[in-house]
Amino acid sequence: MSAPAIRIASMNKYYGHFHALKGIDLEVARGEKIVICGPSGSGKSTLIRCINRLEEHQSGVIEVNGIELNDNVDNIEEIRREAGMVFQNFNLFPHMTVLENCTLAPILARKIGRAEAEKTAMEYLTRVKIPEQAHKYPGELSGGQQQRVAIARALCMAPEIMLFDEPTSALDPEMISEVLDVMVGLAKDGMTMVCVTHEMGFARQVADRVIFMADGEIVEQGPPEEFFVNPKSDRTKTFLSQILA
Amino acid sequence: MTASVMPAALSRQPVLGVLKKKYFATRLDAAVTVLFAAFIAWIVWSLVNWGVLDAVFGPNQGDVCREDLEGGACWSVVSTRWRIVLFGLYPFEEQWRSGIACIAMVVVAILSCIPWFWSARRLPVLWVVGFATFYVLMRGGFLGLAEVTEQNWGGLSLTIFIFAAVSLLGMPLAIIFALLRRSKLPWIARTMALVIDTIRSLPLLTIMFTFAIVMPFVLPDWAIGDKLYRVIVGYALFFACYQAEIIRGGMQALPNGQEEAAKALGLGYWHRIGYIILPQAFRNALPPTINQFVITFKETSLVTIIGFFDVMASGRAASGTAEWNFAVVEMYVFVALIFYVFVFSLSRYGAYLERRLGVGRR
Repeated sequence: MSAPAIRIASMNKYYGHFHALKGIDLEVARGEKIVICGPSGSGKSTLIRCINRLEEHQSGVIEVNGIELNDNVDNIEEIRREAGMVFQNFNLFPHMTVLENCTLAPILARKIGRAEAEKTAMEYLTRVKIPEQAHKYPGELSGGQQQRVAIARALCMAPEIMLFDEPTSALDPEMISEVLDVMVGLAKDGMTMVCVTHEMGFARQVADRVIFMADGEIVEQGPPEEFFVNPKSDRTKTFLSQILA
Repeated sequence: MTASVMPAALSRQPVLGVLKKKYFATRLDAAVTVLFAAFIAWIVWSLVNWGVLDAVFGPNQGDVCREDLEGGACWSVVSTRWRIVLFGLYPFEEQWRSGIACIAMVVVAILSCIPWFWSARRLPVLWVVGFATFYVLMRGGFLGLAEVTEQNWGGLSLTIFIFAAVSLLGMPLAIIFALLRRSKLPWIARTMALVIDTIRSLPLLTIMFTFAIVMPFVLPDWAIGDKLYRVIVGYALFFACYQAEIIRGGMQALPNGQEEAAKALGLGYWHRIGYIILPQAFRNALPPTINQFVITFKETSLVTIIGFFDVMASGRAASGTAEWNFAVVEMYVFVALIFYVFVFSLSRYGAYLERRLGVGRR
């Protein structure tokens, strides 16, 4: 288990002529919790989406669990099974019940039996505190509940890494804490986490490292106490003064 | 009438009150209401007179019809010659086979509308059995059943067979077309778009003619097959091009996040398509899909022109003899009724599906 959970080296991403990510270098150790923040358009979502190939990078290396991310579809699917993702807009499957949402991928992609998959799903739904909603459809749940289902759905694949892409940005304020509580619990259990979020309270509480991005580059990174108390670059200072104001 | 009277009147005699308020509010309203009520009553009365009271129902009463001065409908033409409408040129003594085959096909169609059969294993088995039963009974040529070639199939049986075959061949083809059209490889997507647009630009009649008459010159002998099957293939291709665009529309209505979420869970292409994309695309595209089926059912009548006796042509033939040529209208009414029963059931089934799949919930 020597390989880091994620290793990204001099990675570049272009949209046409637009240079979206510029020479990104990043290593995430097993069990490490990373929070990525930065102004909108800084490339933070693009970066996290490159890790499981929802976006394709043009040069450099991305390795997840020691598996290199390239055009090999088997590699891509292997990496996607190992790295669960939670989206801003939940993206639950509206035509399936909560339980079916949680068991679909384990049954199809992990070849787990239905009974066992359902048992696991119920355990995770209990953990995100909504086992009683298992037989409802996503449309019948609140935003906060949907996002917790989305987290449970990702966890059902027993991933080693969890990627969070602004998981609380689409939620009403009173629902944010119920989702963050689940994420804090997950962090305490030792999950490797990469979170794009503006929740600085969450960053302070669980992050081992905070990364600040701007214009497609990693501008600054460090442990939260240092990052928040003593930011080095001017851009970081400006950003922090804006969102902490 | 004053406003203060209304509530009391409404509560005591709700029906009358509502009637009064809606249809007799002013003198003009009342006049229009009476006028149209009289007009509708006159139409209904004339129809009942023509179709029921003055009509001749029993078989073989053409003479009675002709002497009938009341001018009522002559349903005798239907009760005498209905077999031609249902079975076309199919040999008279063998028509029970065509009847059973027809019923088998309708039963299979009804069964496949029941959700229990909607599985990748049950549905294909059901349809293979259905088509095999139909073919074996219609074609015969074994166990003492006389052989009847496709050229002699006809009537309602033929119409149902063509419709079922076109739908069953066309639907998978439509899905494949829609997926190819969405392909990430530009040359595949563009070629498919070109094929779809080309076939859609041609009249169905042209396609049927091409497959029925031109194809035999082009195809190798072993691939020619009967004219009926060539026409079905051509029609299925036509159906598939329209239906592919309907399915593609349903797919495009899905948010990107659906496919991304499926990818992020590690689901492969076919799993994503089969479990996430297509089920939702079909829900979105249900109303136009039912529409397409309705149009397809009605347009089966076009096969008449290349020499098949579908239900429409058979109806015309049944009332086309010197003995019955005065009863054309009655025969058309009967044929229209057959179409109505099928298409209306299809529409109601579509409405049921929409409710069941909760199209409105999203």
